[in-house]
Amino acid sequence: MSKNQASKPLEIKISTVVAVAALLGDTDLATLAASLKQITGGTPDYFEDDFTLLDFGPATPAPAPGSIDWPKLIALFRSYRLNPVAVRNAPAALDGEIRQQGLSIDTMQQPRQAEPAPAVPVPAAAAVPGPRPASASTTAMVIDTPVRGGQRIYARGCDLILMGMVNPGAEVIADGSIHVYAPLRGRALAGAGGNAQARIFSLTMEAELISIAGIYRTFDEGWPKDLAKKPVQVRLIEDRIDLTAIAIK
Amino acid sequence: MAKIIVVTSGKGGVGKTTSSASFASGLALRGHKTAVLDFDVGLRNLDLIMGCERRVVYDMINVINREASLTQALIKDKHCENLYVLPASQTRDKDALSEEGVERILEELKAMDFEFIICDSPAGIERGAVLALTFADEAIIVTNPEVSSVRDSDRILGIIQAKSRRAQDGNEPVKEHLLVTRYVPKRVDAGEMLSHQDVQEILRIPLLGIIPESESVLHASNQGNPAIHIDGSDVSEAYKDVVGRFLGEDLPLRFADYEKPGLLSRLFKGK
Repeated sequence: MSKNQASKPLEIKISTVVAVAALLGDTDLATLAASLKQITGGTPDYFEDDFTLLDFGPATPAPAPGSIDWPKLIALFRSYRLNPVAVRNAPAALDGEIRQQGLSIDTMQQPRQAEPAPAVPVPAAAAVPGPRPASASTTAMVIDTPVRGGQRIYARGCDLILMGMVNPGAEVIADGSIHVYAPLRGRALAGAGGNAQARIFSLTMEAELISIAGIYRTFDEGWPKDLAKKPVQVRLIEDRIDLTAIAIK
Repeated sequence: MAKIIVVTSGKGGVGKTTSSASFASGLALRGHKTAVLDFDVGLRNLDLIMGCERRVVYDMINVINREASLTQALIKDKHCENLYVLPASQTRDKDALSEEGVERILEELKAMDFEFIICDSPAGIERGAVLALTFADEAIIVTNPEVSSVRDSDRILGIIQAKSRRAQDGNEPVKEHLLVTRYVPKRVDAGEMLSHQDVQEILRIPLLGIIPESESVLHASNQGNPAIHIDGSDVSEAYKDVVGRFLGEDLPLRFADYEKPGLLSRLFKGK
C-alpha cells in the first residue's frame, strides 16, 4: 500500500459482496407480504439486513412501467430486514423509475449452474429469496460444470457439491461443507456462516486456500507431499486446521 | 447455417490475430465463404496481418453507426477467393461498439451466405473481448504453454460460459477448442515449458492443434501474408491440420514431439 494512504480522504476500489436474490414471480404486494411472512416464519431477524437484488425474471407478465409501487415494495422487504439495493431482469422501460428510487440496475449474469432454477411450486407464495439450488434436494447445491478462474459459487445455507474441477483463481463458498469430486485448485471456504463443523473434501487436493468458519490456511510452499493431489479431508479440530488423507481402497 | 467462431485467449500476444488470419484463410482455401472480423477497436492489426491495411476505407464502427454499408466496409482478400475482412476502427474507442450493432452485422453476414464468420478478439476481458464472444457458436482458445496464458485462458472460458448468448438463453453451450501456440517440443522435453497435456489437464477442453514456435510467423506478419500461405513451412502445415481437424478430419497430431537429431546432424548443424 502507498505511504500516502493516511493523506487520502477517499479511495474507490472494486469490491464484491454476498447478496440475496429475491426472485419475484408476482408483483402484488399482498401476495409478496404473505410469502415473506411464510418464508421467515414470523421471525423478525430471519434475515440480517442483507444486500438484496430484486429479480423480476420470473414475473409473468413482465411488470409494466408505473405498475409497481416502489416505495411500498422496498418498505415491505426492509420490514423483513432485506435491504433492496439493485434490480435485475426488469424490462428496460422501468429503468428510469428504478433509478429514481436510488436502486442500481444489475446487468451481470451469475455463472451457470448445473440445472436451471426449478419453477417454484410454493403454495400461495411467489417471491422466493435465496440462491437457486441446482438439484431438487434442499440440503446441497450441486454443480456439474468446472469452476473456472475468476468465478465464484456460494451455497447459502447448505453444502456444496462440485462434480467438476475448481481451477486456480476460482472461489467456492458454502455455509455447509464443500465436496469436490475432482481437482480442487482454487479457494474453498466452508462454514462461511460460522459453522465450525463444516469440512472440505476433495479427490485431488491442490487448493490455494482453504478456510473453515473463517479460520484459513494458504499453501505458499505447496501442500505437504503426502497429501498433495491426493484425496484429502480438511476440518477444524479445536480451532486448528486439520488435514487428513482420505483412505480409498 | 453460418457458424460464428470466436478466436480468443484472455492473454495478449499469444497468437490470436495470427491464428484468426491463417484459420480464416485455411477455410477459404477449402472453398468456404469466410469473413474475418477485427474486434480490437483502436488497436486494430488484423488488416496488417492480412495485408490489406492500405485498402481500408470503412470499418466495423462505420457500419455500426450506419455511416457505411457492410458491403462497402468488407475488404476482399487478395490471397484467397471466398475470404473477406472487416477491419476495426483505428480512431474510435471500444465504447463505440454496441451489442445491438454487432448482432446486426452478424445477421447481415449470415444473410450474405457466409459459411464461417471468424471473430478476432482483442486481449483482455473488457467490452471488445466480450462482444467478440457474445454471439459465438464455437470458440478457439489460443493458449501458450505457459502458466499466465493458461490462467487467462481459464478465465476467458468462464466468461464464455457466463456471458455468451448461448449461455444466457440456455441453449447448447459454445463448443470450445484448445489451440496451443508457440510450442517448442525441445523445451517441453527439457522440462522448461508446459506440455500440451499439462495445458489440457488444467483447461480440459478438446485439443484442436499445436502450432510450433517459428520464425516464419514474424516474416509472415511483416509481409502481410498469413502464415498458412508460406507453403512447406511447419507453421503452415500446422494451421492446415487445424483447419482439417476443425472440419471433422481425423489427423494425427504433428509438431508435438522433439526428435533428437542423429549424432552426425548434431555434429554438423551444431543445434
